[in-house]
Amino acid sequence: MSRKVITFVVAFVLICLVMAVAGVFSFSGLAKAEKFDANRVWSQSYNTAESMKVINLMGDDNDELFIQNTENVTIFDGSGSVLFSQNYQYPKTTLGDVNGDNREDIVVFYLGDLGYSVDVINNGQTQTIAQSLSIGLPARVAVLRFSSGPQIVLGDSSGELLSLNLSGQPLWTYSVGSEEIRGLDDARINGQIHLAAASHDGSLVVLNQNGGSVWSTSQESLRRMRAFDFNSDGNSEILTGGEFGAFIAYSATDGSQLYTQSMGQAVSEIREVELNGEPSSREFVVGGKDGGVWAYSIQNGVVDQMWSGSLSDKVNEISGIDVDGDGAEEAVLGDDSGVVAVFTGNGSRSNLENHTTGITRIDVGRLNGERYVVIADYNDVQVNKIEFNSIPGFQYTPLIVGVIISAVILLIAAILASIPQKPELKVSFQDKSRESLEAERRMLKESIADVERLRKSGEVTGDAYLARLKRLRGDLADNEAAFKVAGFPIKVETIQCPNCGGTLELGMDKCEYCGQVLLS
Amino acid sequence: MEAFFCIGAILLVLVLILFSYLLNTARKRVNETNSIGKKQLLPIYISLADRPASIIQGMNKLRYDVNKTEKAGDKWRWVPLLIFFAGVVLMLVDGLLFLFGYSSFVFIGGGVALWIAAIITARGLRKSDSYDFSRRYNGTRDILHTLRDDLKPGSTYLGHLDLTGPLLPTKVARTAKDAQNRETEYFRDEWLALKAKLYDGNILRVSGIQKSKKRKSYWKRSRISGKMKSKPEKFKGTEHDLKVRIVPNPEVYKIAKTSAEFKQGLNIGKFTISQLSTEGGMIAFVANSPFEEVEHENVLQILKSAYTLLQRKAA
Repeated sequence: MSRKVITFVVAFVLICLVMAVAGVFSFSGLAKAEKFDANRVWSQSYNTAESMKVINLMGDDNDELFIQNTENVTIFDGSGSVLFSQNYQYPKTTLGDVNGDNREDIVVFYLGDLGYSVDVINNGQTQTIAQSLSIGLPARVAVLRFSSGPQIVLGDSSGELLSLNLSGQPLWTYSVGSEEIRGLDDARINGQIHLAAASHDGSLVVLNQNGGSVWSTSQESLRRMRAFDFNSDGNSEILTGGEFGAFIAYSATDGSQLYTQSMGQAVSEIREVELNGEPSSREFVVGGKDGGVWAYSIQNGVVDQMWSGSLSDKVNEISGIDVDGDGAEEAVLGDDSGVVAVFTGNGSRSNLENHTTGITRIDVGRLNGERYVVIADYNDVQVNKIEFNSIPGFQYTPLIVGVIISAVILLIAAILASIPQKPELKVSFQDKSRESLEAERRMLKESIADVERLRKSGEVTGDAYLARLKRLRGDLADNEAAFKVAGFPIKVETIQCPNCGGTLELGMDKCEYCGQVLLS
Repeated sequence: MEAFFCIGAILLVLVLILFSYLLNTARKRVNETNSIGKKQLLPIYISLADRPASIIQGMNKLRYDVNKTEKAGDKWRWVPLLIFFAGVVLMLVDGLLFLFGYSSFVFIGGGVALWIAAIITARGLRKSDSYDFSRRYNGTRDILHTLRDDLKPGSTYLGHLDLTGPLLPTKVARTAKDAQNRETEYFRDEWLALKAKLYDGNILRVSGIQKSKKRKSYWKRSRISGKMKSKPEKFKGTEHDLKVRIVPNPEVYKIAKTSAEFKQGLNIGKFTISQLSTEGGMIAFVANSPFEEVEHENVLQILKSAYTLLQRKAA
């Protein structure tokens, strides 16, 4: 095949490759131009929110924004006006229907004037249901609707649990390790509500309504524990994230480990987010202390990692919101440096406007009939309207780019094919007549004799002698070949070294160039 | 953030290197020099075993072919740079999208692909580049042309023209070390070997030999700082030997013992005759020149002068 044909064949193959890659990008939907914008609706000063939820707490038909920090509990209406605000010492809160009106109430576990107390805030009215409780500094509180009736479970900073009935009467106590309670959640076993509790020292326990242990275990120091019933079979899965990166999924039924993975950094948050819009599988997102982000899917009890990404600092909060209205939620994450990022179902990331301080809480809900994302940082709480924009038809741009590249490849092929091959710079002008060949042979032998003479006189030594000799012997071999081609009789006087290919005189028993022993 | 700047700086340097490579491809090639500052010339090796006309025609054709390839490449020298800028434009589309808040790498990917295409094109075009022909190429051709009518009819020139360079490792004739253990290489480049049977029955052998000397690079401890420093190689000089043997046809010529126009120590052009022997029915002499380049006129002049030693026998 000629050089031109080969050039165009290579160009054609390259074009096919380029267009195939472009096609894959276009039709797989990998190429898209999408962005998420956050437009601020209102903002209020509120520092270091520990708990935040958009929920109907005031008895009207509208949701309000509940927020709690280390010294205060506040409820904002949909426009940002304060409906309720009360200061506490060391408050920890949870939401649960305490009075049976089918609407969530705020349960506050705090240090009051008469010791550790519990308040219930209903419709903005505060009622203290327990005081002088024998428990330590508040760490967690949860309302659990056991089959025997609701209970308020308090957890302190030394791993102690105290259960109260809705009147504030102590029911049972339990000691979960010796460090701060880091997780209180309801876990289902055969459809029955149980309490999953975990402390910072790595102790994990599932308790029944009487405070009896169903099972317990311990692992490395623990930062986060959450329980979900991923496959809605009435048995929950308990997820824990360790200080040293151990991410473990337990079966709530018997404590068996369903999945374990080392994340390489402390796990700072775990949240459920419906990332793929597929109702038969459940997804959750894990955030790390060094900014790592991992998405998992659980289907039929099997945990699969979907994708991973990263933020620039510790992931403080994860929330799910269906921004683009496609039925699948996007994960909205906030980190300790103030970055708020939206991760889509396939893990692609878009940033919202950065905050000047770290993000503490993110929640999604309807305020004044509009769906908003509420973001709390170390200084403020901001209510944002998130908008999704995409460029229509952008997914086909890889094809356009592919066509441009293909055109350039064709142009290059045409240019390279138009350039003639560079001529050989080792040229032999040789007359094929017998006289000429014989004269050349004589000349070559004289030249070889000259080189030998120079070596003997010490004018040429070593490599130069061998290199010159090799060239002359090569020319001699060419001369013999020319004799044969022309059909003239010739006494062959050269052989080729089978190792280095150098031409040698017939009868030599060792190659002068490479040292190969010759048998001839 | 530091990592971002670091990667950005590395990418910027790479882009600048690429741009400079393509710009150099686009500009007309400047004369390159070798490690000792000598101009790089086209490395040609020609075996001579043909009639004068064929050799001269072949040498002209080789020159034409090399120029044709180079000119064909010259037409497109700007194309790689244009492709580079097309890549930049493509990448700017993603930059524009980024300004509007979208993140896309489709056009950046396309731009990178175009840059790779630009490199391939530049490499292809650079392959068509050639160094200049050595002056010896034309000089040898002129010698062959001048002597063409003096050749025995039907006979051929024999020999070689080796213009691959005088300082190749294969041309190191010997090495020597000085008192400071520094190694000096002595090169012997027989760039021209020519044998011709002449019309008058004489046999002419001419060898053009360039002898060069180069001190190899070496390490030396500085007297002031005490650090080991590498000293570069140094070209110590070159000279030319023209070795000629003329075997006259005894039926036509006899060799004169002396000639005023040709004797040992005589300067002819750039050459000085350093050795002369007329023993054994053969004129053998070595003419020496301290110059790096000798013109073909000097070679022809010295051959012409050598002929004054031949006296035609009476018929």
